[in-house]
Parts: sequence; structure tokens; C-alpha cells
Amino acid sequence: MNKAFEQIALIPGLIAAAFVSNEGKPGAWCANSVISPESLSFVAETCRVILSANRAEQRPAHTGIAAFGNRTLVFRESEAGLFVAYLDSPVNEAVLDWLWAQVKPHFESEGIKWE
Amino acid sequence: MLRQGLILTSQREYAHAMRAGLIEILGDSQSRVDVELDALRAMQLVPQQYDLILLDMMLDAMDGLQLLLMMKQQASSTKFIIVSDTPDETSRAMAYQNGADFFLERPRSAEGLKAALEAIKGLLKRHFDSQPLRMEDEGPLIRIADVVQTHCLSGDSVLLGVRSKQQSGDIFIYRGEVYHAQYPGKGGEGAFRDMMQWDAGQVRVKALPLTRVPARTIEIPYVHLLANLEQPGPLEGDMRPPTGELLAVSGQVPSEDTVPSVVLEAPPLKEDKPKPVSSGALFPSEITNAGETPLPSVNAHWKINLMGELIEGSQVAEPERCAFITYFIYRKMADVAVALEVDYFNNLTLVGPHLQQVLVADNMGVRHAVFDTAWSKEENRIQYVKWCCEQSF
Repeated sequence: MNKAFEQIALIPGLIAAAFVSNEGKPGAWCANSVISPESLSFVAETCRVILSANRAEQRPAHTGIAAFGNRTLVFRESEAGLFVAYLDSPVNEAVLDWLWAQVKPHFESEGIKWE
Repeated sequence: MLRQGLILTSQREYAHAMRAGLIEILGDSQSRVDVELDALRAMQLVPQQYDLILLDMMLDAMDGLQLLLMMKQQASSTKFIIVSDTPDETSRAMAYQNGADFFLERPRSAEGLKAALEAIKGLLKRHFDSQPLRMEDEGPLIRIADVVQTHCLSGDSVLLGVRSKQQSGDIFIYRGEVYHAQYPGKGGEGAFRDMMQWDAGQVRVKALPLTRVPARTIEIPYVHLLANLEQPGPLEGDMRPPTGELLAVSGQVPSEDTVPSVVLEAPPLKEDKPKPVSSGALFPSEITNAGETPLPSVNAHWKINLMGELIEGSQVAEPERCAFITYFIYRKMADVAVALEVDYFNNLTLVGPHLQQVLVADNMGVRHAVFDTAWSKEENRIQYVKWCCEQSF
């Protein structure tokens, strides 16, 4: 997983990214800023709680896009865990598709599939 | 000298000790220090009116640093002091990063309090030396009811800062109606009535442009509000008859002579209003369009205030649950914002196999819409965000 994140860290505009398992265990992370792995794990865990709460409300969601000014937090859940990416730009659907196209191969090389 | 200060804390004992110390060491006969123990109510206060705000790092229902960030944006010349029980370098750095002018460990003894007050005195001295208080800031004594009536008649949107000899508060007038009133410790219609009575109605008033619309807590038209001021005793909303009919004792026919005029003047309650067409919806009020952008087609949408209360909605099948989940997500996103060291989230989109949700936050509440994934497009969601921004003001 660390190798995958070495590559993910190279994605343009990416400030930080992390993956946590469904059990809440930190998998791997990368950050090109002063964001600690503990903060990233906390963010990922909080995002997982949000998705879980929506499932309980019969409005299941697998992906979230949160805008904080010009920065964006994207999170996406798979059967293996939750991936979060913190980007230094706003995003639209085209940017999201591009981001998944960048990320997916690295996860697939680790045996994690995204649907 | 300190003119007006505010202590925001959940610790009553500390608040009273600090208040007494501030007035004794920094104040004079004109000085006033308010205490607010309710963090959510504190969010409605207007920080510009204060020279100094002491704010706990951790409040009961809120992160003090987030509140500091919001207040500092509104009141850049106010001095903010963050008070912490567990001072460490990270907390100190975050406090200064969010706009604090001073970081203070909560004093736990008389000596500690004295030292803290001396430090605050030094901070304020530098502040006032560079910004001497102008006499015109005080303003003349005027009849508050006349000021309210004038602005309402003109259809203004203003914030009235009201200052009596002992207290100060704010009255929010939006589009010619009294929307909200508040002073430390009280809000809503009761606060408005109290403020009208301060110093027999002769107070100092400062009118400021309304930069944000607060959650509406006063629904009675201003003409009734002002007319009812002449009545002995307050009129509480739930004292009015539930159907808008005149009150009568069983077996008696009410007559105009026996029914207080205040009841006759009371506006119809919400239950009397015609309900908008919806599929079994229950909601506090119908959403109207205040901007140019039309509302896109949504399955349902609603708005909560920052206390988690549903204040308006459309097609909302389970209002309480909808308000709860929106507030829950809002609080969680606030935690995320703190961890990422950024301001509150602007909007959040949640994409699911069947539904998509969009939450749009401003500093007064959160709007939440549900779209059908099958037919909604990105344009619809963007349009909703734009629509929300126009509703904000």
C-alpha cells in the first residue's frame, strides 16, 4: 500500500490522501503539507461515520465531495475501506473522473477494487 | 478603559470572578461586561459592539476556536482572548492562527486571576492607546420603539445595537420586520420586549447594515409587537388560542368587551395558514425564492439553523429525522474542518446509487437537498448551491 501512495502523492493538486480499513485501521497515507497522519485518520474516520449515518437513514452514499473554500475533500468507500483525498482546487465531475482514473490503478495493484 | 466586554464560557463561577475582576481593574462606572454561558446563543451576538471578548477554547456545544474564527471575521478590531484549561503549544498556535490576540491559561487562584487581569490590562492599554474611544460612539438617548418603527416602516434590513445603562443587546430587522432580538442570556420575542423596557425605553442605539440574516425567532408583525408593548404583561405565543378563535370560558359567549385587545390583535398561528401542496409533508414554513436563480427540481429540501432546528422545508416526510441527520453531518464536517485547519465547509455532495444529497452551509444554517441519482445532473446540483447562496442574503 505504501508504494501505491508514493505514486498517489504525485497526483497534481493533491495535498494529502489516506486510506483506512473498514475496521478503522490506518492503511497508508501521504501528504505534501503539514497534515499529520493522525489528522488524516481522524478525517477519514469522520467521513466513514457520515456515510454510515446516511446508510442508517436509508440514503446510502459511497462518495462525498466537500468544498472548503477553494480546497476540496473527496472521500470514497469501497468494500476494503475508505479513501480520502484532500485537493488544492475545486472539483467538478470531470475532475473527479480524472482523479479516480489516476487512483484506481494503484489500488487495483494492491488488490482493492472500486465500483 | 474597557467600555464593553463579553465573557463566553460554560463555567459560571469563573465567569463571575473574571467579570468582577475586569470591571474592578479595567472598568469605570460606564463599563459593562456581559456573560454568555450558551455557546449557540453566543453565535447570534454581534461581536463588533465589544472591545474585548474572552472565549473558552472548549465550550459545551461548540469548538471555541471555530467560534473565534467566525467572530474575528466580523469584528477585526475587537480584542479576543482564548482561555484554555489545558494550554499546550498546539492549542496556542491554533488560537493565534484563528485570530486570537492573547492566549490565557484559565486562572485557578486569586493570584492567577490578578496576573491574568494585569496581562489583559496591558493588552487593552496598547489597543486603546492606538484607538482612543470617540465620544460620538456613545450617541444620544433616543426612544427605541421609534427607531424600530422607523426602520420597519422603511422596509430596512438593519442591525440595531441597543445599549442601556446596564445592558446591551441587538435587534435584527430584516426587510421591515423584526426577525430576531437578543441580549446575553435571552433571545427571541421576550428579549425584544425586555429591551423595549430598558431605561424606560430611552437608550442609545447604533444602526449597522445587516450583513447576515439570523434564524427568525419573532414571527409577529412589527405593528403588533409595538402595539402590544402598551399592554400590561408579555404575550407569549403559546398563550394564544390554538385555533385563532377568541378565548372563552366554557358556557360563556365571548364578547369584545371581555376579551383583551391583545388577543384580538394576535396574528393567526401557523396552523391557520394554508398548507402548501406537498406529499404528506410536515414542516415549519414553506420555502420561498429570494433570488434570481430558480430552485432546481429536488426530491426534498430543508434548512436547519445552527441549533439543529428545522426552520423551513419542502417535501420533508420526517422533519425531525431530516433535521437530525443534517445537524449530525454539519457537526461532523465542522470536526473535519478543524482537523484540516480550514474554515467551515461551504458545501458537501454525497453520491449514492439511488440518491444524491447536497448540503450548503453558511454561518446561519445548513440547507439540505435530496436529488434522484437517475435523473439529476451536475448542473442541478450547481444550480442548487447557487440558489442557496442567493437565499443567504
